[in-house]
Amino acid sequence: MKFIVSSSYLLKQLQVLGGIINSNNTLPILDNFLFDLDGNTLNVSASDLETTISSKLDVESSEKGSVCIPARLLLDTLKTFPEQPLTFTVEDNNTVEISSNHGKYALAYASGEEFPNPVELKDPFSTTIQGDILATAISKTIFASGNDDLRPVMSGVFFQFSTESLTFVATDAHKLVKYSRADVTANQTAEFIMPKKPLNLLKGILAASEEDVIIEYNESNAKFSFDNTEMVCRLIDGKYPNYEAVIPKENPNRLTIDRTQFLNSVRRVSIFSNKTTHQIRLKCAGAELNISAEDIDYSNKAEERLTCDYQGDDMQIGFNSRFLTEMLNNLTSDDVSLEMSLPNRAGILTPVDGLDEGEEITMLVMPVMLNN
Amino acid sequence: MAEAFPIRKIIHVDMDAFYASVEQLDNPDLVGKPVAVGGGGKRGVVSAASYEARKFGVRSAMSGVLARQRCPELIFVRPRFDRYKEISTAIHKIFHEYTDLVEPLSLDEAYLDVTENKKGNPSATLVARDIRDRIKEKTGLNASAGISVNKFVAKVASDINKPNGQKTVPPEEVIEFLEGLDIKKFYGVGKVMKEKMYRLGIFTGKDLKSKPIEFLEEHFGKSGAYYFNIVRGIQNSQVKPTRTRKSLAAERTFSENISSEVFMLERLEDIAAEVERRLKKSKVAGKTITLKIKYSDFTLQTRSRTLPYFVSTKELLMENVKDLLFQDKMRESVRLLGISLSNLNNEDKTKEDKPPPENSIDVQLKLDF
Repeated sequence: MKFIVSSSYLLKQLQVLGGIINSNNTLPILDNFLFDLDGNTLNVSASDLETTISSKLDVESSEKGSVCIPARLLLDTLKTFPEQPLTFTVEDNNTVEISSNHGKYALAYASGEEFPNPVELKDPFSTTIQGDILATAISKTIFASGNDDLRPVMSGVFFQFSTESLTFVATDAHKLVKYSRADVTANQTAEFIMPKKPLNLLKGILAASEEDVIIEYNESNAKFSFDNTEMVCRLIDGKYPNYEAVIPKENPNRLTIDRTQFLNSVRRVSIFSNKTTHQIRLKCAGAELNISAEDIDYSNKAEERLTCDYQGDDMQIGFNSRFLTEMLNNLTSDDVSLEMSLPNRAGILTPVDGLDEGEEITMLVMPVMLNN
Repeated sequence: MAEAFPIRKIIHVDMDAFYASVEQLDNPDLVGKPVAVGGGGKRGVVSAASYEARKFGVRSAMSGVLARQRCPELIFVRPRFDRYKEISTAIHKIFHEYTDLVEPLSLDEAYLDVTENKKGNPSATLVARDIRDRIKEKTGLNASAGISVNKFVAKVASDINKPNGQKTVPPEEVIEFLEGLDIKKFYGVGKVMKEKMYRLGIFTGKDLKSKPIEFLEEHFGKSGAYYFNIVRGIQNSQVKPTRTRKSLAAERTFSENISSEVFMLERLEDIAAEVERRLKKSKVAGKTITLKIKYSDFTLQTRSRTLPYFVSTKELLMENVKDLLFQDKMRESVRLLGISLSNLNNEDKTKEDKPPPENSIDVQLKLDF
């Protein structure tokens, strides 16, 4: 088995795939890339058992065969090369020899058959979505997902497809983001929970891609196909919480404010907040928003006033400033609106402008109960 | 053995038929007539009865209907708490002329520690007489007093020469006094405890004293030691000028039993508003919300829940009360509903300073999945 490939082209692909490889695998074979050669097509795969991602590369060859090559060693080597053709030759002595303009390198390989086979999806449904839209949906929601091992369903992003829209939801019970697109639809309703790791990978790959992504899914797995790449991953098993029930229907106190101003104020004031609770206090009255924080342990204190558009009863509400910062940061609009009802009820943060037709973002944040 | 402690001089001052006397004072037409303060309706309860009414067997906490049966001429007067409060304040002013160690028990009752008093009067008996005279002079009302070495004996003593009298139990007579005392007069002995004591052959203080502490603890648990000491004249409970409130509540008895939750909610709204008003007045908030339900068969049920944070507004109260109300089916129609709030945020902060004060950490709320 022998093939010739461009060093930078190979590196670029391997770096993407390498994202899925765990740093400490219990199964040593997973420390490898699988190289599956079929004439001019080289299929490279990486896996962590939950997710398998593979890319098809164009190479110069007329042979067939498959080997597993240590990922770390290969990546470290490739990084050092300037662009040049590399020749990979599988030798009889259980090594793969790479020859470059500079010299020769031998790596021990394992047989390709040892590499776990990716899951075949049985009777999948399929939906097509543009790459950057999917990437946006992921990046808008994924930060809100949880890390609680006791509630694994909340550690992922909930995909909810219907014939009217695609909806993506993430929550850690303190905050919740619902992102929906009415301009993209599926042929049938479907729901599944995607784990965070493959989504983060997808987010990176698809960021500026206008290519279509085909999502195939069944009860237990989902497969994302685009360009020359395929990713198959196991879904999180379980029932996603009924998030619709916690979204308040009526939050009569509505604050509209310049997002950047609000964000900057929250950031500054939060420096003075308690180091464990990160709690800040919002006071809304008239056309003024008062943001304050206090760290009693150190006698630190800050207060800022912002002009805003506020409609509702005068109120005081406490929030964890980190949640607010994350959420405000994640939005891109000029103005945001924060709708509240009572100091112990979720506030709803939404962008006022800058949304595409059919795009909708709803962010929920639970307050911190203030002890006055 | 009691000598190990410095002998204190405690006065228990108790106004005679306070509410009723105030009414008679303000409305001379009522003087000399049987008067009951409280609701005279179907479900009314007598809050206080004048001495004329008491002759007929009318007692406080008696139902209005029964009171009227016993004394058909009984005149019912609606209570005017603001007025009572006003007079109570005036009386407290008098107390403070003598000592600042005043522990109010209610509007018409208080303990005073006059071991060292502002008048420098060594005789507590004379101080008590003085105070009663001053009260009469200032308000026109009669007060009774009990004077002794601790709160318990003073309280029992104030009842002996009631109305308009006083009784001193000097240190050397305390033991004898307690030995001769009927067990049901002991503070903390109610109907149930009395029955229990009687069954164990304890009828007087003397009987109680004859029992070893082990016996008492076996039968009365923690209270055993209390009874053991109290009958020996040992009670070191101080006169506490300020008591921290432990809970705050409001309740309503309805003129007709209600069976529909919708109507209950309506009533609870009013009760919650009242609780909110009281919370504002006392400047406290609480964590534990208790819904009290008295059914038409007089059985009592309480449902409570403790929140991770303090609440003080009607909205938050109602939110939880609603849950508590619907948490379970009503067994019967309901005659009384009440909301109480405990676990208040007025507790001694010094205690909580050592471990991380859970109360002061503001609580991050969670979405209700």
